[in-house]
Amino acid sequence: MTVLLITILAFFIGIDDVSTKLFRRPLLIAPLVGIILGDLQAGLAIGATLEIMWMGIGNVGAYMAPDIVTGSLISTALAIMSRNGASLEATVATAVTLAVPTALLAQQLLVLIETVNVSLNSWAHRLAENADVKGTKWLIYPPAIMTGLARALPTFIALQFGAGAIQTLVDSLPTFVIEGLSTAGKIIPAVGIALLMMSMIKRVEMWMFLVLGFVLASYLQLAVLPVTLIALVIAYLYDLATQKNEVVQVAATDIDGEEYDL
Amino acid sequence: MEQKLTKRDLWTLFMRVNTMRITLNYETLQGVGFMRAVAPALEKIYPDKEDLREAMLRHTVFYNSHVNGDAAIAGLTVAMEESTGPNEKEGINPLKTGLMGPLAGLGDSLVKFTWVPIVGSIGASFALSGSIVGPIFMFIMYNIVNMVGRYYAVVYGYKKGIEFLNGNQNSNIIQRISTMANVVGLMVVGSLIASVIKISTPLEISVNSNVTGEVGGNVIAVQEMLDKIMPSFLSLFVTFIVYRILKKNQGKHVAWLILAIMILTIILKYFGIL
Repeated sequence: MTVLLITILAFFIGIDDVSTKLFRRPLLIAPLVGIILGDLQAGLAIGATLEIMWMGIGNVGAYMAPDIVTGSLISTALAIMSRNGASLEATVATAVTLAVPTALLAQQLLVLIETVNVSLNSWAHRLAENADVKGTKWLIYPPAIMTGLARALPTFIALQFGAGAIQTLVDSLPTFVIEGLSTAGKIIPAVGIALLMMSMIKRVEMWMFLVLGFVLASYLQLAVLPVTLIALVIAYLYDLATQKNEVVQVAATDIDGEEYDL
Repeated sequence: MEQKLTKRDLWTLFMRVNTMRITLNYETLQGVGFMRAVAPALEKIYPDKEDLREAMLRHTVFYNSHVNGDAAIAGLTVAMEESTGPNEKEGINPLKTGLMGPLAGLGDSLVKFTWVPIVGSIGASFALSGSIVGPIFMFIMYNIVNMVGRYYAVVYGYKKGIEFLNGNQNSNIIQRISTMANVVGLMVVGSLIASVIKISTPLEISVNSNVTGEVGGNVIAVQEMLDKIMPSFLSLFVTFIVYRILKKNQGKHVAWLILAIMILTIILKYFGIL
């Protein structure tokens, strides 16, 4: 029954991810799974860890990112279903371990859908050719159902057949592996953060803002919110300073140097 | 000039912008979705079927931007369709194409690289202490920018878009806001390195004490030493290495990198280094 509920959730969150995008982050998905399975605490802990882990994961250039939506759904559900009295830390470690391969596999399905969707172009062209505005309404239904199924089917299969196997596997792992995976969950955010840095550091002088943020948090122990407020002030001052420069240079040249890569 | 589209029409446009990405495909990316989004507005603007046909065909071409960028561009596009004369229609697509890059960049820097990490990390810290407030906080804060921002981008794009473009051609305002968002984003990211990545080593070095001559008498904890030099030094170090590796691969092979970190951590744990 719970498996079916999570499958239905996967269907709708799958469609939401490509349309309204209300729920597409791990911290929003995992607690929902936790509630369905009656283990909100684990859902929260897993959601928080995956959220931080996948921070900054997004499509970089033409490269399609791992599917964190399906990854969060399946890994959270499997980890909670195979928890069986294990500690919260071990459960989170299980989820972290499962999240990566499931996100990778699910990504392939999304690539497939984008390929199949190419056929929509001739349909759209035909509608435009006939100036058929009413007909355009239907364009989204087949791909929406396909996208929903691309999330729901793997979720169903993984939960129906995977839970028992995962539990046996986790029980047989030595403690240092579980502890290692748990520690890895606290190191992996470096990947997401480095990805964010890659997207934002377009000029050398941008490094100094990263250093400033780091110093505020490490030496001065400031939380994210105060750092953000200070950052707003600094950003405003930086804009003032660079604006002045531009007036002097009357630079018609592209200062940025790097165009946004679609 | 009186604008033809009512609030209701703009709502329809907004609803269709919401579902634009469902038709994402490798040939025209969001081309199908964009045509579908603006079609009802076009129907209202062009009573003549032949004009409508041409307008719809115009928007089936390649298109791709960021979600909030989509909303602003869709609003601006219908405003252009409405205000341009029959001979000026060729200008619409180049303008659309010209905006999708910068607006995608702006949307990414504001939402994906700045807002989502900020509300995500605040929400995560609540959730880690077992509070349901975490996801609720993130849901509300994220969707204020996501949904509400998208609606107003449609309205603003339609009502003020043309004015805005004419008035700001030389001051590259989009560029400036993007850069400011990047400054905020980078400072937040810098602080996250210290607060989110948790690495410590239990390694200890025993040194022979000079005073007592005792062998192994003084034990120095490596972590304590590192903390004295720079708190979160290991976090910064690891982040920098990961950054170098990603930079070399242009952001590809992320999943393999994560797997490698997992395996390496387990090995280091086994040897008691982590």
